[in-house]
Amino acid sequence: MTENRKLKTISITIVCIWLGVFALLPNIALLLVSFLDRTETNFFIPLLTLDNYAKLLAPTFISVLLKSLALAGISTLACLVIGYPFAYILARTGERLRPWLFLLIIIPFWTNSLVRTYSIYTILQNNGVLNALLNRLGLVEGSFSLMYTNFSVFMGLTYTLLPFMILPLYASIEKLDLRLLDAAKDLGAGPVRAFWHITLPLTLPGIAAGSILVFLPSLSLFYVPEILGGINYRLLGSFIQYYFSKGNNWPLGAAASSVLTLLLILLALFYRLASRHTDDGGSPVALTGGKRPKAGGRA
Amino acid sequence: MKRFLFSLALCLLLLSTALPAQAAGKLIIYNWSEYIPDDVLEDFTKETGIEIIYSTYESNETMHDKLLVQKGRGYDLVCPSSYFIEQMIKEGLLLKLDKNRLKNLGNIDPKVMNLVFDPDNQYSIPYMWGTYGLIYNSARIKDAITSWNDLLRPEFKGRVMLYDDPRMTMGVALLATGSNPNSTREEDLQAAHKFLLKLRDPKNVFDVTAAKNVMVNEQSYIGGIWNGDALVAMEENADLRFVYPKEGAPLFLDSFVIPSGAINVDNAHAFIDFMLRPEIAMRSQEEYLYCTPNLETLKLLDKEQLDNRVLNPTAEDLKSCVFVSGVGEAKDLYARYWEKFITNAK
Amino acid sequence: MKKLLYAYMGLVYTFLYAPIMVVIVYSFNDARLSKDWKGFTWKWYESLLTNQPLIDAAINSLILALCVASLATVLGTLAALCLHRYRFPGKTLLLGNIYLLTLSPDIVMGISLLILFVAMHIPLGFCSLLIGHVTMAMPFVTITVLARLSAFDENLLEAARDLGASELKALLHVLLPLTLPGIAAGWLLSFTLSMDDVIISVFLSGPGFDVLPLQMYSLVLRSRPSVNALSAVMFCMTLALIVLSQFFANPRRKTATVQTPDAKS
Repeated sequence: MTENRKLKTISITIVCIWLGVFALLPNIALLLVSFLDRTETNFFIPLLTLDNYAKLLAPTFISVLLKSLALAGISTLACLVIGYPFAYILARTGERLRPWLFLLIIIPFWTNSLVRTYSIYTILQNNGVLNALLNRLGLVEGSFSLMYTNFSVFMGLTYTLLPFMILPLYASIEKLDLRLLDAAKDLGAGPVRAFWHITLPLTLPGIAAGSILVFLPSLSLFYVPEILGGINYRLLGSFIQYYFSKGNNWPLGAAASSVLTLLLILLALFYRLASRHTDDGGSPVALTGGKRPKAGGRA
Repeated sequence: MKRFLFSLALCLLLLSTALPAQAAGKLIIYNWSEYIPDDVLEDFTKETGIEIIYSTYESNETMHDKLLVQKGRGYDLVCPSSYFIEQMIKEGLLLKLDKNRLKNLGNIDPKVMNLVFDPDNQYSIPYMWGTYGLIYNSARIKDAITSWNDLLRPEFKGRVMLYDDPRMTMGVALLATGSNPNSTREEDLQAAHKFLLKLRDPKNVFDVTAAKNVMVNEQSYIGGIWNGDALVAMEENADLRFVYPKEGAPLFLDSFVIPSGAINVDNAHAFIDFMLRPEIAMRSQEEYLYCTPNLETLKLLDKEQLDNRVLNPTAEDLKSCVFVSGVGEAKDLYARYWEKFITNAK
Repeated sequence: MKKLLYAYMGLVYTFLYAPIMVVIVYSFNDARLSKDWKGFTWKWYESLLTNQPLIDAAINSLILALCVASLATVLGTLAALCLHRYRFPGKTLLLGNIYLLTLSPDIVMGISLLILFVAMHIPLGFCSLLIGHVTMAMPFVTITVLARLSAFDENLLEAARDLGASELKALLHVLLPLTLPGIAAGWLLSFTLSMDDVIISVFLSGPGFDVLPLQMYSLVLRSRPSVNALSAVMFCMTLALIVLSQFFANPRRKTATVQTPDAKS
């Protein structure tokens, strides 16, 4: 038994030390820096101030934040609208075909996101493929540009993040007990009613998980708006990155990042709420990768 | 268990020593992307046996912040623009050069030596310089373009491209509003900011990295561009024209410097000297099409190259052009107006 | 109706794949910046092979990803084992933490670690990247392994203990082999996460150790023609990796509890 105890202590200690030093401590430091001042040559100096948060209330940041939230929200919605029927059909395909169709979703999921962002750039570019295609079809004439617009950034985010929506949706729809729907039908419920009262509530964890997995990255993937939107589309992630790697104002960037952290906590709580009646619990990520966890160890 | 932990620790130790060791015989270069041809680097290694580790940046600001984070350690050679050098000297990020080790220093045009930002060239040796002029698509724009203020013409709305490089673009705005591109007066900057705001159309592009592409693919019809970028773009799209605006153009000068914490200082000197050789400087110039400050290289160029006014501007072209320099205290002012400009995004 | 449904799926697949296919086609286009077709060429692939900084970065990334994947797998599996087998104070907290970390935006992880390293005067480079990537990847391993463990038959461990195996022996000889598919999948996931990461690397990379995603980032920003070729290569490597991962975590195999014949006996 002593060996058992030793093993237990050692493994728990290692894990806790790693997470404590490299996850918890840095986040505390980040929060601290958001209350500090800076000088020309020092990224932060031990001088407490609320200045950074005051600056966040200025119209410039508010407009960045609102635009980010809007774009992330619309992209999430688009992913959901495209992804839900898709996941539903996928979950209902025959046993023989399904693994292959599933594989076809996994491939983009694993493909480097820069590669995928760049491929959207190729499509949307002036005189690019979409341009040529629409010209050929006679729908529009001459060269036109879809780049550097709301649309290009939205396309980029939707395209890059769609698989992150489909996978958790698929996982929760696949688990849906079809007998429930049959029972509803027997009891006289129409398809809309059955969907509204049975399918939707039961797949809510998947919807919540997918939405979180699309929404948060939409806010922080700074290279998507950078490549597809240019300077006009500096979203929250770009704003933070700017102050940390170019603008030399870490405290301001740190303060802006606290908005992200706050959102993260809110969304995590929201997810717990949404999945409270199911055994998925815990993390939305548990639903990706097509795995069906039972949230082992959830107290 | 102890043995397991011990061997794990040993493995980690071995790994950490095996990897980023900065042994002699190395040179860690941090440079603009697309600024030194790959084969020039290879030839240097072949000749000297010094292994080059090369990483790149896209803006002076990124380079400066990375160096500041590292407190000048880690890199052996960097290539900032003139207007950043003054600041970096003040911040103690640069090492004084040993000019005795630079035998080819005499090749450099005295015109680009001893400039205000580094009076005796104690810290920096010029590598390449260039102009930031006007580019336009002659198939789309029929009449002659002569001025930065042409950017404001209503028919170009949504078709303008400028860099997201604060100093270059602010420089253009200052020139367009009749000020010196190095002005430190707040009212000048205010006027420049107003000028830029008029260009704040969602379809206008502000992107240094995408510039060539945007012009070649006719996303934009008119814009500001470095002459080297312009020449590359013109090779791909024959309709593009490059002009020196009548208000003048901002000039840049990029110089080699050695960070204060550099380890391979000797190798860095050897590399700078290597790059000063006329035939090597010529290879850089032919690849990236910026202006070389190397007088011996100019002698090697053929007539066609010498007559190319984009590549080799005449004194007439440069009449009202100004080197962009550090602005000292006014730096914060520039930063403020620039941030105001970019975050005011629609 | 059924046809309509399949047409819809086809549309979504087209949306997902067409852009990548276009990039692959363009990787053979003999033009520098223009998007017009100017003839077939291999030269962009050749240019990848002569781009020494790119090759160096690729090798660096490979070394880094191997180390990250291994370390993250060890730590992540350890965490999963602790959470699965032991009761201890703060267990819920630890689990919650791990779940939160999987959601934590990369940018927050990047900047917070940057602050830590600067405050502690740790130079940026291989080690900082390793720590950043391991911290990012480890929770994913934990979740993957936990999923596998939850399907594990506890009686097997009891049996091993009854037969006189020590805890360590039982874990190593019974539990570990049965969770191996989950561990392998976690390893592959960490590997890809490290190879893909731009955001953390932007902040934590340092002198002398450039990584592939950053080189790629710079190439994409300037939309160099060789990006098409590089994208095509990376896409094919992803395909290869997925084939590998399917081998480890076969979707039809993972739902079953215990499959090896000897375990059934």
